[in-house]
Parts: sequence; structure tokens; C-alpha cells
Amino acid sequence: MHGWSGKILDINLETGAIETRPLDQKMARLFLGGRGLGARLLWDLVGPGVDPLSMENALIFTAGPFTASGIQTSNRFSVTTKSPLTGTILDANSGGWWGMQFKRTGYDVMIVRGKAKNPVMIEITPKGVELKNAQNLWGKSVSQTTQALGQNNNKRNVLCIGPAGENLSLMAAIMNDGERALARGGPGAVMGSKNLKAIVVEGKERNKPADKDQFKFMLYETGKLLKASPLTSQALPEFGTSVVMNLVNAIGALPTRNFQQSQFEGAEAISGEAITEQILVKNQACWACPIACTRITKTEKGEGEGPEYESVWSFGAQCGIDNLETIADANRLCNDLGLDTISVGNAIGCAMEMTERGVIEGGLRFGRADLLLDTIQNIAYRQGLGAAGLSDGSYRFAEARGVPELSMSVKKLEIPAYDPRGMQGQGLLFATSNRGACHMRGNMLGPEVLALPRLIDRLAYQGKAGIVSVHQDAAAMIDSLVICKFTNMAVAEDFFARILSAITGEAFTADDLMKAGERTWNLERLYNLREGFTAADDTLPKRLLDVEVAEGPSAGYTVNLAPMLEEYYSFRGWDKNGVPTPEKLQELELDDLV
Amino acid sequence: MSKIDPRLYEQFRDIGRDIFITGLTSSHGGNMSARIGDKIIIKRRGAQLGRLKPSDLVITSLHGKDSGIALASTELIVHREIYRQTAALAIIHNHPRTAITLSLSRDEIIPIDNEGSYLLRKIPVVSVEYASGSQEMADTVAEALRGYKIVMQRGHGSFAIGQTLEDAYQWASALEEVSDIIFEAEILGEKLIEYRRHSDSYSKW
Repeated sequence: MHGWSGKILDINLETGAIETRPLDQKMARLFLGGRGLGARLLWDLVGPGVDPLSMENALIFTAGPFTASGIQTSNRFSVTTKSPLTGTILDANSGGWWGMQFKRTGYDVMIVRGKAKNPVMIEITPKGVELKNAQNLWGKSVSQTTQALGQNNNKRNVLCIGPAGENLSLMAAIMNDGERALARGGPGAVMGSKNLKAIVVEGKERNKPADKDQFKFMLYETGKLLKASPLTSQALPEFGTSVVMNLVNAIGALPTRNFQQSQFEGAEAISGEAITEQILVKNQACWACPIACTRITKTEKGEGEGPEYESVWSFGAQCGIDNLETIADANRLCNDLGLDTISVGNAIGCAMEMTERGVIEGGLRFGRADLLLDTIQNIAYRQGLGAAGLSDGSYRFAEARGVPELSMSVKKLEIPAYDPRGMQGQGLLFATSNRGACHMRGNMLGPEVLALPRLIDRLAYQGKAGIVSVHQDAAAMIDSLVICKFTNMAVAEDFFARILSAITGEAFTADDLMKAGERTWNLERLYNLREGFTAADDTLPKRLLDVEVAEGPSAGYTVNLAPMLEEYYSFRGWDKNGVPTPEKLQELELDDLV
Repeated sequence: MSKIDPRLYEQFRDIGRDIFITGLTSSHGGNMSARIGDKIIIKRRGAQLGRLKPSDLVITSLHGKDSGIALASTELIVHREIYRQTAALAIIHNHPRTAITLSLSRDEIIPIDNEGSYLLRKIPVVSVEYASGSQEMADTVAEALRGYKIVMQRGHGSFAIGQTLEDAYQWASALEEVSDIIFEAEILGEKLIEYRRHSDSYSKW
């Protein structure tokens, strides 16, 4: 069974039982791995109505058939769970080294269920799997924990939570390799609720391709295209993901001051170019990645990874702050406390608007860079505004004070760095994303801004549903293989199919993979429907639907969601209520689940 | 959907014109379509690809039958099958002369030029008895397009797919350039000097 190790590690923290069982081969082929496999397993493991922070919830760590194969960017992995922030199905995905090392332990999947009585950690080495006491690590930061457990990129890798996860902030991330994040939707809180501080992996197994010659050819061809693409060979290595800051601002799609404007006068000062000029020490790559988009930056307060575009936006334009050093410090602090930078920055921006509108008291107003770090600390430790509810995300915080419309979120997940009034397809994407507003579920930045694969009219709405759906399915497929979405900037689905064929020795077409992505998307939809979500949840904040952008290149636009949503449901083969039809489920071999 | 966005019509008009002007099809040959939700917008049967008017575009269902089929292109059945079996959002079918010529003597067209190798690597040639508007043809072409973005139907023409009409047009245009270069190199008859590493693997693409 090339590509898949064929083993699931199942750990019950309540009983201490550690079991290994076989991976269902048919399930692996249908869902590939990573996010798809995680969704399929969660469907059975965590039924409707389960409190995400109870011991009945599970954390499912998954690698994919690409992981650790050596194909470009094959370092990633996923965690799937029920989100405490949104109540939806959640998968979060991360790069670095840990995913590669986990696959090398010989497992495709690790299920963690139950709750330990006291803080514990899991250690997987060639000698076996152990549950160990982690009382001495509880309370420690991510960097302290990672260092204490002996992080060594190519040999021994650490995944852990920080104080935010221990304190059950609903914006808590799980961190791996020190500064990489499984960020969105609060997976760190789920790990904290289980009293699980860390998972350390050391492995010796290899993911060897079945067809070495074809694999070598695909490695060569993929490398050739990654080198040929100016995005993956020049823009990302040179400026990191913030290379898009000026581009998004120029078209009037950079949310500013909690989405009250769509252009930020300080964009230039926090752009990728500014990062490179002012605070960049060097760029860095994850395992087996030739792109090397990671920034290592240095400020007066310290040195570390990041910030990524989304984080620069959340602490920058969203909060009306153009101080690059403070933004980098805020990003580094979130990493060390184990917090999702997108949600935290967005939520702080929401609180700033609430202050300015007199809903809450205090000095936290737009532009107050001096208050940023303390506010982040308070969120992680549930003190100050954190104790007042900001630790639970912008929606709960704003709703408790009678102003839920000031939360720029979808399904309670904070919207990332794009104002969809200037990118209509992105609006549909956010509204329909299964884990709440998310740019990693088929980012329309590609076709609407970066001409990937082709530039389309960002303000048009007819025909967008099909493109959004295809991008959503492709993202689900890529998250299941698992590799970095940046490879998709240079190579397309037919490459992935041929790489998978070479690794597994079985024939896969591009459409087999796209169908697997569509299957995952529909299964995630079924999960959310089972939890009580309806078509009414496929929406956006009122501000984006009703308030026209006042000035700039997107002036006069709101998101024309209704016709796009109607087209979307019909494209997907769902009924008018957004429910997959029996025919669609049969086509996707999901009919036995309903 | 009862109306076609003027911006979408303009894409049909401009790309249809370019296909004809660049000699990729004859005056009334070829067709193209785009998928919108569970509908297809497709060229009217008999309309000139190079002179499309708004009334030359027909809206019809992807799955069921409706009055649109009375006016739609002869190849509607193929377009529907491709949309059902692949992730395509747009399709272009045209009759490229050199590629048709090559398709009469081989089962695959493998580019020898750099651009063609980069974009297409290999174009399979499929063969059916009823080469126009048959279910057999629809099944064969759609199946081939599950793994390739453009395929040749022997002696008939190419079918290209993409997320947009422009996508599909690029593959259609590239195929004919690839074919012209192969044709001219074969007429020249000189030994080719290979410059591409792993080029022998393209036949396995």
C-alpha cells in the first residue's frame, strides 16, 4: 500500500489505552488523507450535539499520501475536530517539519479522544508510543515547551499548545515546530480541554514511491514549473505572503478599521516590500520546499518567524496600525501564547470599533499600537477584555453587548484579509466556507487578483459560483494529499494526479482528485447540517451586504450574494435549502452516510 | 438564470472571432459553451463562431431536456457529458487543420517545442465511429478529458476545457501551434536534437 502507511493510532486519554488499527483502504482512496480522511473519521467519531470542549470531542491528526514523499512541499498535515468557536466541522493545516516526521512514525492518522486527569503529553518514537506526565510543562509558552522537549527539525518535532489553549481561549491555536500554527477555529482549546500539552514525534519510516522513475520525472517537472512561475520563484521568496498587500490595497479590497473602509493609507508601510527592507533577517523554507516564503524577522523586542500577510493585515489595517515592528511583535507574541493571529487581530479591531461607538469603555481605539501586546496577553490569559469575553472571539463579545453586526465573521469565525465587496467571488467563498470565513478554502485571490489561472472580473457575479466551487474542491483535495497550496500557483490538478499515481502505483486522473475534493466538501456540509446549520448561515455580516464601499476602486459595491448563492447551490447539486440531493450523494458515494 | 451577463457574451464574441480569424475553424464549424450553475450557455447551431450576436447564445439545462436543445449546437450532448464528468466550466470545440492532419496518423500528439511541452506535454487522440453528436463520442471525449485539458478526436477536431473560455482557448491555440511545428519538422525531415531532460517520459503523461 504505497503512499499510505495503512495504520491508525488511537489514543484514549481517559483510559490511557493506546491502540493501533488498520486504515480502511477504500476509505483512503475515496478521501485520500489529511482533511478528507479526517472529515470521514470525525463523522463517525463525534456525533451531533457534542460539546466541542467535552471529552466526547476528538482530535484527529492526519497525514496524506504525499506527506514525507519528498515531492515539493510535502511537509504538511491536518488536524480535524469539532470547532469550539464555530460549532462546525474544523480542519486546520500546517507546514514546517512535524507533519513529515509524524508520517515517518509509520502512522497516517492519530486519533486522540477522552480527557486526561492531569496534564499529559504523547511521545511517539521508534521505541513505541508513550503517554507522559506534562505537569511541569503546563503554563509554559510555546517556545519554552518546544525547546524543553528537544525540537530538532529533521529528527524530533514538537507540537504543543501555549497558555491560550490551556485557558481555553476559543481562538487558541495548536503550534508545531515552534512557530507554525494549526490556527483557525480554536483547535488549541480542544487540546487544552483534554489536558494534552504536547505531542512529540520521531520517525524512521519512509514514504517510498511505487514508480520511482515516474516520481523522479514528476519531481523534475514540478520543480521546473515552480522555478518558472514568478510568484513561487521570485515574489514569495523575496517578499513573503505580504507581497499581495499593495495589490489588494490597490484594488480596494483591503479591509480597514473593521471593514469600515477598503483601502488603508498605511498599506505601503506594512507591505511585503517594507518587511524586506526594514525587519527581514532571512527567508526560510519548510521541509522539502523550494519556495521558502517564511520570513525570519527581527525587532527591538526579539526575533522570530513571520508575520504572514494575514497577520500583518489583522494587526495592521484592521486595527488602523502602520507600525511594522509592533505588528511583528504582536505576531510573535501570538505564536508564543498559541493564538490564531487572524482571529485575534480581527477581534481586537472589532473591540476598537465598539470603543469608538461607545459600546465599551477604555482606550482601545484604532491606531493604539501601544495597547496591542497587552490586549493579546489578556486574551491568552483571560484577563481584562479577555475575561470580559474577547477570548471567545469577536462574535460572542459583540453579541453579548447587543452589537453582533460589528463582528466581521461568518459562522463566528473572523473574516481574513479581503473585503469581499471588492472581490465578489471571495464573498461567496466566505459565506459558504464550511469552517466559517476562510481564505484557505479556495482563495479567490488567485483568479480575482493574481490571474491564477486566469484573471476574471472581480466585480462580476454571474459565473462565479462555478469557479468558487472548483477552487473549493481543489483546496479540499490539496489539503487531503497533503501539500502546500502555493504549489498550485505553478502546477495544476493534472500534476497532482500523476504524482499520486507515481507514489501509489495506482492510476488517478485529475478528475478523480477533484471528485475526492468535492466528496470532502459535501461531507463537511453534511456534518454542519447534522449540527443544525442551515442555508441561513451561508451569509456575511450586514455591513458587507448592505453598506456600499464609500470610496476607492470598489466604491459603490456591496456583495451581491443572493444570486451567487442561488447559482452556487444549483452548481453543487444541492436543493434550494443548501442540502445535497440524494443523487449528488450517490454520485459521490456518500449516500450510505445519510 | 434567464439572462446572460453582457460581460460573458463579450467573451463568447471575442474568443469566437479570434478562433475563426486565426484559422482554427471554418466559417460555421466549431462551438463553445460555459457552465453557469446547473445551466449551459452554448453557441446556437449554425451560428458563425466569428460573428456571434447575443441571440446566437442559447441557455439550456445541464441535466434535463428543455426547448434550448432545439437551437443548441449539434455537439450539445458532448458538452453536457464533459460537464458531468469533469470539473470544466468552459469548453471550446474547433477544427484545427494541422492537428486534424496529424490525428489521422497517430494516437497521440507529443509536442517537440518548448512552449507546447510546457503547456500540454501530450494530447491524446481518440477515435469513434460516429464522429459528430453521438453518445459514443460524448462518452469517449469526456472520459479522455478527465485526465487532459485538451484532446483530439481523430479526423474531426479538438475539445478543450478550462475554468474560463480564455483558458480553453489557450489550449486550443497551443495545440495548433504544436501541430504546425511537428508538421513542418517532419516535412523538413532532419534529425531532431533533443534538448529536454526526461522528454521520453512525455509519452507516459
